[in-house]
Amino acid sequence: MSEHILSTCGLTMRFGGVTAVDNVDFNLRDGELRCLLGPNGAGKSTFFKCLTGQLTPTEGKVTFSGQDITGALTHDIVKKGVGIKTQVPNVFDGITAYENVRLSARRKHLKPMAKELTMKTLERCGITHLAKREVGLLSHGQRQLVELAMVLAGEPKLILLDEPAAGMTGDERDRLAQLVLESARSAAVVVVEHDMAFIRQIAKFVTVFNRGAIFREAMIDDIMQDREVQEIYLGKQANAA
Amino acid sequence: MEKPVTRDPGFYVMVAIGLAVMFIAPVMLDLFTIMQITQYVVLSVFALSLGYIWGFGGILSFGQAAFFGLGAYTFAVASINMGSTTIPMVLAFIIPTIFGAALGYFMFYGRLSDVYLGVVTLVVALIFWKLINHTAGPEYAIGEARLGGFNGIPSIPTLHIPGDPGAWLDPGQMFQVFMGFLIVVYVALRFLIASDFGRVSVGIRENETRASLLGYDVRKQKVIVFAIGGGIAGVAGAMWATYQAFIDPNSVSMEMSAKALVWVMAGGVGTLVGPIIGCILLQWLTLQLGTVDVVNSIAVLGAIMMVLVLALPKGIVPTTQSLLLGGYILWKRNHGSAMPGKAVKE
Repeated sequence: MSEHILSTCGLTMRFGGVTAVDNVDFNLRDGELRCLLGPNGAGKSTFFKCLTGQLTPTEGKVTFSGQDITGALTHDIVKKGVGIKTQVPNVFDGITAYENVRLSARRKHLKPMAKELTMKTLERCGITHLAKREVGLLSHGQRQLVELAMVLAGEPKLILLDEPAAGMTGDERDRLAQLVLESARSAAVVVVEHDMAFIRQIAKFVTVFNRGAIFREAMIDDIMQDREVQEIYLGKQANAA
Repeated sequence: MEKPVTRDPGFYVMVAIGLAVMFIAPVMLDLFTIMQITQYVVLSVFALSLGYIWGFGGILSFGQAAFFGLGAYTFAVASINMGSTTIPMVLAFIIPTIFGAALGYFMFYGRLSDVYLGVVTLVVALIFWKLINHTAGPEYAIGEARLGGFNGIPSIPTLHIPGDPGAWLDPGQMFQVFMGFLIVVYVALRFLIASDFGRVSVGIRENETRASLLGYDVRKQKVIVFAIGGGIAGVAGAMWATYQAFIDPNSVSMEMSAKALVWVMAGGVGTLVGPIIGCILLQWLTLQLGTVDVVNSIAVLGAIMMVLVLALPKGIVPTTQSLLLGGYILWKRNHGSAMPGKAVKE
């Protein structure tokens, strides 16, 4: 168990009669890059919310770095080293991109270090030119990058990315793929994405969700050829690709 | 990139204006006017307390008067019993701060949503008001101070020089001391807001989820902001009590809470100057309207409020700022094109 940075055991989340996450056993090795696929409503975002304490799972257990974090408070989980980019960007709209990222860097570092880390992260994400702009006025793709920079500036051990490529231009997407691969060298990464071109750039081992449960876990090439997976989700996109 | 307070010219301008008023007004103006403006100064401190928690912590309190009244009554009871005003003034900060922290603990650790937060603060102020109204009998006394119920507490000592209870301040001096309080509160808040603590508060105001996803304890942060706001409102209440030498349950009333909300909204949420300007402007207007018999002043104020919200939804100060900025950019553009030589040189 100890080589797993994250594992869930029988994780279940019910909303009234709806079971959004159904008895999920998920294991992630330290430093692994994992892609999460699944049609809309498969429970991927809810799964992420259970991992980060935004939702308290109805049943089951979440273990991070050997510690039980089931039902812990969001900020405590984050402090242990989890960073998440949410599906709808959660950024500080009224302040500048620089301030956004700095607030993330400042939690762990002293002022001068935080400043340095902020500038470095902005550059890594290719948004140095946006530093002085108010985040509320940026495009969706740019906001995604700002949020990603905030996640990276927190220097997490586990990075969860929920549809990071949505709303991005081709160039931005390529840079993002590069960033994800780069980040995966120092942290474990889980990416939820629908954009198949993006997935192909980064994916190795893939977990497919369907109706709240794990449907398949296999290498990307096998997944792409899996008839059943195509049927539930990929459909024409996979054939075209 | 956020400018540090010390590099913001607006900050120095505001402090300079404050100091100028503090020293020049008592010389230039007659006693009655001075006493009149003292009232604005006291209420401005109260407005700042709400302006801070609402504008820089995202906490909308509908019962800020609870702290104002608590500070006023704390000061009244303590100063009557002690015969001095220095320690009571400190108590008028500490006790509302503690009360704010306690109330904030239940509200924020209980994860109340914004609407219920508004309801709880409103109800707390109402309970205070009810409670104090029912303390008219002689049995309701703390030491030598009778609470007096709806009759209020009379003969509250005037502020004196610390350590010398005989050395009362005359109205001119009291005005200067209160201006000093206002300037100190303004400066302290500016620095607090520019600090890392303040930046995190602003982050929470912008997006609570993200703040906690960055690892900040939103609940703790909000309790502290709320408590500080309560303490400042308490000091304003104490100033009010000693200025009037009298305090009654009206200081805890809904009207008082509502006024603060209106001042901050009119002046501009998210600024500190806004609440001060909103307070002075609307209090002055209320006074002027009170002298006119034909129309009901409250109705007129309501109408003005509606116009303000519709025409200047961001408030007076932010709107003026953006107008000035827009004007400056236009001017610069025209100016620049008129003298192309200079632009090239640079």
